[in-house]
Amino acid sequence: MSTIPAAGPTASPSLKKPRRKLDAVSIVSFITLIVTTFLMLLPLFFMVSTSLKSKKELLKFPPTFLPESWQWSNYKEIFETLNFGQMYGNSLLIGVLTVVGTLISSSLAAYGFARYRGKGSNMWFMLMLSTMMLPYPAIMIPQFILFSKLNWLDTFLPLIVPSFFGSAYNIFLLRQFFATLPEELFDAGRIDGCTELRMWRQIALPLSGPALATVAIFAFIYSWNDLLTPVLYLSSSDKFTLPVGMSSFTSSRFRIPPWHLLMVASVLAMLPIVTLFAIAQKRFVEGIVLTGIK
Amino acid sequence: MKKKGMKKSFTLLLSSVMLLALALSGCSGGKSAGDVAPGAEGDNGKKEASGEQVTITHYTIDSEDRTFIEKLIPDFEAKHPNIKVKLEKAPYEQFDSKLQTLIAGGKSPDVTSHYGYGGFAEYYNKDMLLDLNDIIKEDGFKASDYNIPEDLMKIYTVKDHAYGIPVNMYVTLMLYNKDMFDAANLPYPPSDYEDKSWTFDKMVEDAKKLTHVSDDITKTQYGVDFTWSERDMRPLYFGVQPYSEDTWTNGGVPSETHFDSPDVIAAYNKLFNLILKDKVSPTTEWSKSVAGQNGDAFVTGKVGMTVSGSWSLAGSNDFPFKVGVAAVPAGGNDKVRSVLFVDPLMILKGSKHPKEAFEWIKYLVGDEVQEKSIDLSGGNPPVNTKAAEAYYKHFDGIDPADVKKVYEGAVKYGFESYNHLVTNYSQINDMFINEMQPIETGHKTVEEVMPIIQKKVTEIIKR
Repeated sequence: MSTIPAAGPTASPSLKKPRRKLDAVSIVSFITLIVTTFLMLLPLFFMVSTSLKSKKELLKFPPTFLPESWQWSNYKEIFETLNFGQMYGNSLLIGVLTVVGTLISSSLAAYGFARYRGKGSNMWFMLMLSTMMLPYPAIMIPQFILFSKLNWLDTFLPLIVPSFFGSAYNIFLLRQFFATLPEELFDAGRIDGCTELRMWRQIALPLSGPALATVAIFAFIYSWNDLLTPVLYLSSSDKFTLPVGMSSFTSSRFRIPPWHLLMVASVLAMLPIVTLFAIAQKRFVEGIVLTGIK
Repeated sequence: MKKKGMKKSFTLLLSSVMLLALALSGCSGGKSAGDVAPGAEGDNGKKEASGEQVTITHYTIDSEDRTFIEKLIPDFEAKHPNIKVKLEKAPYEQFDSKLQTLIAGGKSPDVTSHYGYGGFAEYYNKDMLLDLNDIIKEDGFKASDYNIPEDLMKIYTVKDHAYGIPVNMYVTLMLYNKDMFDAANLPYPPSDYEDKSWTFDKMVEDAKKLTHVSDDITKTQYGVDFTWSERDMRPLYFGVQPYSEDTWTNGGVPSETHFDSPDVIAAYNKLFNLILKDKVSPTTEWSKSVAGQNGDAFVTGKVGMTVSGSWSLAGSNDFPFKVGVAAVPAGGNDKVRSVLFVDPLMILKGSKHPKEAFEWIKYLVGDEVQEKSIDLSGGNPPVNTKAAEAYYKHFDGIDPADVKKVYEGAVKYGFESYNHLVTNYSQINDMFINEMQPIETGHKTVEEVMPIIQKKVTEIIKR
């Protein structure tokens, strides 16, 4: 933590000569930025710090800033007390498949909506968008009955398969993006004898890096954080996902929640999202550079 | 050629996705039992076909003090080769919604308890529970054979029909911070309910000596936290009953409520004065700032005494100070000084195998299993009076004699919690929390708020 403020003064003398003196406005905004960054990082810092405290230290007031004794064993403990590794793997598997499903189905549907004009195509588009207005609890029970008739209870299928059927928001997002692609590209493709499927695959998709990255991030985060659906459909411990396991930490009305372990879980649960964002952000930029359209 | 390859790879992608989906559905075997996924595994289907083995589902909260029963299943199944038990779990917050969905979806569990926000009366009035009378008669089940006191059986009996078998009994008791009493040179409060000197006023007197309010939040400490049970229970303790007597005989629907009566208002004033006038109790804001949103300020060592459920005992080994248990002081009601929270096991109406479910319930309340459950659960109090002896000794650093006295006194002066016995209780409870907030912060008086509460309670009960 202390390295951030320290970097300021050491860096500035070397910059002094070639640069003009910083004026008051930029100094003020610089300081504001540092302070806000620090404030934004504070909860994150407390999460990591709490994850390394002992159970007794959690109850102390005022809370300690840094752990008195660093309990690195907490990170080991979570894999021993819970089948944390298994839950992590389950969540990853479901998340990745959801992303695959969402990307394939939503981009296909969006391609159709963006490139074809026909009777009532607007009506269908509106109809699809209107599904966004249905809150999940409204379809919860019918969907449960459907999946239980299919014998899909206590499997990952109810969590993955729906993503292969597209989702209104993602279709809308991709459609808007596909619609901005110049018609000439597709005309050229048509002249070269491309099928529609191939134009989707070789023209629309490669030009839509940023939009696809956005959809992938949304789909993954949604699946990664989803609690209600896994709670409804999964009942064996070895199939639980991270959110289910983590909310069980605070489930007892009768015990002090093991906050330190919950924080360990949170730190570890955060990693894939951060990684994904880091990777997707790069693609994001790449997409813009390569296409050169926007 | 290239085009063909393209198509091929796309088909390959699609078919591999489908295959994966199939493979995943195949994984459904193993622990998923016949009831939920019949035919998913050949093995299960065969057993089902022979007509002998049945699977019952026990639905519970996914927390260590509830899921420990998983460890009891192998022994039970060994003794009952024709019954398989499967545990279905949900986190506390999602307990009710999953249960409703399971029932609506035709996958009703066989055995459960009111572990979520809803209470027994709510389940009863929604017609979710199976009348156990026939099974009990056929089985010859007697509570006394299982060392369950008859009084406890009565709690979940409506109009002479039993709907639940008690399994755990939590009482209300007082925990105190021994270190804080030592520092103030005060004698510890008594654990004996017959000690007539231990009154509400004496408690306030002690609390005053323990309270130090300072501008520095780290130096501030309070004498007592008397947030005793659910908010609508509290007048009872001062000898006033806000729900009419018939509530307990007709399935939790009171014909009258008296929340705006002068007696009830006086009782609430007595409690709120601890915060507002005597200033020996912390405000909600202070507690939150010290212990977090759902935390308990007592466990941080900043509160001298707290009236709390006996479940707090289970965490007492982790407190950063020495802790003792005492009787809840007398508030002016000769009969009621403690709230009991008795958790029953109930069979749901949708159960396809009620008899086998009852076997499982009987197993869980038996002497040996009840005693074993104390350790396995980390300190769940048994209903079984024989097993209770082991429970009293379970807590390090707390005198078993004190725990025993407090428990026995609580049973004698106990009253089953309203949250199990009044209909639509989750709505009533939410309403109480919202309406009483302004009193806690000193923005409104009890006299202003109670008529509103009275009106709203009446509306909720009629729903």
